[in-house]
Amino acid sequence: MERRIILPGEKIAEGRLGAPNTYYDGAVTYAAVIGMVDDEGRYIPLENRYRPVVGDVVVGMVTDVRHAGYEVELNLPHGGFIPTRDIRLTLQLGDFVICRVKTVNEVGDVDLGEVRRLPKGKIIEFPSAKVPRLIGKKSSMIGMLKDYTGGDIMVGNNGYVWMSEKSDMPLLLKAIAMIERKAHKSGLTDEIANFLKSQVGDKPRTPTGGETGEGVESVGEEGETGAEPGYKNEQSESGSSGENYGQQ
Amino acid sequence: MASSESKVPLIINGKRTDGRDMEDLRNLRIEVGVIPEADGSAFIEWGGNKIVCGVYGPRECIPRHGASPYHALIKCRYMMSPFASLEEHSRSGPSRRSTELSKVIREAFENLILADKFPNTQIDVYIDVLQADGGTRTASVAVAAVALANAGIPMKDMVSAVAVGKAGGMLALDLNKIEDNFGQSDMPLAMSHRDRKLLLVQMDGLLTRDEVMRILDMAERGCDKVHEVQAEALKRFYEKGEGETVKW
Repeated sequence: MERRIILPGEKIAEGRLGAPNTYYDGAVTYAAVIGMVDDEGRYIPLENRYRPVVGDVVVGMVTDVRHAGYEVELNLPHGGFIPTRDIRLTLQLGDFVICRVKTVNEVGDVDLGEVRRLPKGKIIEFPSAKVPRLIGKKSSMIGMLKDYTGGDIMVGNNGYVWMSEKSDMPLLLKAIAMIERKAHKSGLTDEIANFLKSQVGDKPRTPTGGETGEGVESVGEEGETGAEPGYKNEQSESGSSGENYGQQ
Repeated sequence: MASSESKVPLIINGKRTDGRDMEDLRNLRIEVGVIPEADGSAFIEWGGNKIVCGVYGPRECIPRHGASPYHALIKCRYMMSPFASLEEHSRSGPSRRSTELSKVIREAFENLILADKFPNTQIDVYIDVLQADGGTRTASVAVAAVALANAGIPMKDMVSAVAVGKAGGMLALDLNKIEDNFGQSDMPLAMSHRDRKLLLVQMDGLLTRDEVMRILDMAERGCDKVHEVQAEALKRFYEKGEGETVKW
């Protein structure tokens, strides 16, 4: 597939496109960030700043515990907020959480809901423009990474990636760095599959606790929050940050 | 600046002091992503100028009371190193000159950046001149535009800049330090690429109305050449797909 890199200010389409990261001057839509246009005229941003949208799934870390709620670092200029009255679990400073964006106001302050605490692990920063690529079509990429590294992974639309302490972290970090570097190339899933096979061997290592491993559902207060859906990174392609990024 | 005329011969046999024709640019090279920790960065080598630029943000506004709920503040800090040129012997830090340059560069970008998407934040553009050889403000604009594109900050357009002046009685594109110091006039310009808007115009010395019109023509052609180099640098960076690293 032919892909052309376009710079900010280059024309994408006549008329209004209404896509994120574009700029419309009344007649023509222009790219606002550096991106690619494929032969069907689809615009895919290569760099962007994460802008929260209601319904986004985000991963973050608790940075402040207050009477009214918790402040959560989300890779945004200002942290998100979890009001205490909306949740029943108690969080601590430094806890990793996955939540859904409930409201975003005019100045970009974020309120979060559907909070789940994540087990011990690690969070890394990934460009939010490339998140759909990390998840892959129907979670193909993320599923493969889970299989080969033996631990759970959670990806937020904000670009934070949580990985379980049980996974093979050096390998996982290498694979994720590779995905970031080659996010704009096609055939990425196969390439990563080959890389993982060369490192681990043909047989995916299945986590000790069966297929799903220690998923988010098995976290401490599951009884209290059980009514809420488990996050499975199914938002993949419909994510706000980059439409159709995972198509090959 | 414009000292006693023609003590120094600036044009000999139609060639300039460094062997260029009147409408030649100096050697120009741009590298993208030179500061991995920054959100966006670029390095420019333009004749004897060496300038590095880092872009951070949108991030929390400091001081907080300076923030605007309507748009991001753009903060630009141009700084010349103490070792950058023969004249700059003093300590580095704010001076009359660097304050002025920071202001004019900031104002050029305030016309381009879609700042209303990021309320209550600031975008920092740090420009450090490591080596100076005339025309650092135009080189700074050119490199900052590339760094902003690399940071994924939404912009209406790309901008290029070039200085045109009068040296040895003739109009010359892209003055170097000798021509700037001993020529008659110097006019730095920055022009947006698509809609050809002048975003920075300054002038030293005297020019006739006719000369200014010719300078605008020459500057437009010069800016196009600079834009080619900017576009090539960005495309090279993103096609190669290297230079970026996952932060952890």
